[in-house]
Amino acid sequence: MLAEEMYNFRGFLQDKGIIFCYSGYMTEEVLTGIGNAIKKKLELENTEKSISKGLFSIFVEQVQNVIRYSAEGAPDLGDEETKELRYGVLTVGKRDEVYFVSCGNLIMQPDVSRLGSSLDHIQNLDKDGLKSLYKETLKGETPEGSKGAGVGFIDIARRAQNFNYDFTKVDDDHSYFCLEAYI
Amino acid sequence: MENIKIEGMERSPEVDFDFGANVFSLKGESYPEDVTSFFGPVIGKLEEHLGSLSGEKVQFNFELIYFNSSTAKVLMGLFEILDEAAAAGNSVLITWAHEEDDDNMEEMGEEFGEDLENAKFELKKIAV
Repeated sequence: MLAEEMYNFRGFLQDKGIIFCYSGYMTEEVLTGIGNAIKKKLELENTEKSISKGLFSIFVEQVQNVIRYSAEGAPDLGDEETKELRYGVLTVGKRDEVYFVSCGNLIMQPDVSRLGSSLDHIQNLDKDGLKSLYKETLKGETPEGSKGAGVGFIDIARRAQNFNYDFTKVDDDHSYFCLEAYI
Repeated sequence: MENIKIEGMERSPEVDFDFGANVFSLKGESYPEDVTSFFGPVIGKLEEHLGSLSGEKVQFNFELIYFNSSTAKVLMGLFEILDEAAAAGNSVLITWAHEEDDDNMEEMGEEFGEDLENAKFELKKIAV
């Protein structure tokens, strides 16, 4: 039973093209550890440098977004709640010759519309538009909006071929957010 | 000012600031847990030092392999400080070295460099 269940789980991951999967609290230690594992894995597979670097940096921005969001996102919440916001699922995989990094985490209900409209905006910008928004944001000329789409998401959009995201409502206070970037 | 030499780590770059020779460099990977606590003090000293110079030759060498977006924000500020030092009458040269097969890092350098009004900027390729 044990083995069968795990084997099925492994099969599910394989069907999705997932090479690497982490589910748990996103911390800086986890970022360092998984980051190294991903780097090694890509090296072993002789992945083209531009792809492995792009993938690695999208991974870093995704994880740091979750850490930052849970730290700044809800200052009034207790430790338990903050921990829940930090609980993420991260997968790295390859489907139809395209690599992807996918990351999901719980967010507060009021942040859904702001985050959604920032990501919509980024998604519709062309290469030059992304570049100017990136530079303006680096120079602090646009409000960072700590809970919304900061420079991390713009960086992801610039390095990825494209990305998808959506939300699903969990309860009155929370939604689940997932962003998948393709390299 | 006392020179600063910080060894490069897994997630933070090597910092080598020679205030006597006015040659400064950042090398390696940069995605520290807390960019402000890593870069704040060293850049603060650099800014103070540059503010006291006039008519000097200053060189800043970047040789980064990877940096995250929070570091990019710091780099943007650093380029502004260096350009101000050039505007104040110093001869400032910024070099941006990138691995020859890393087009993205080259592009990043170009983007930072294109806003400079007074400092000189050079891109360099490192053989892999």
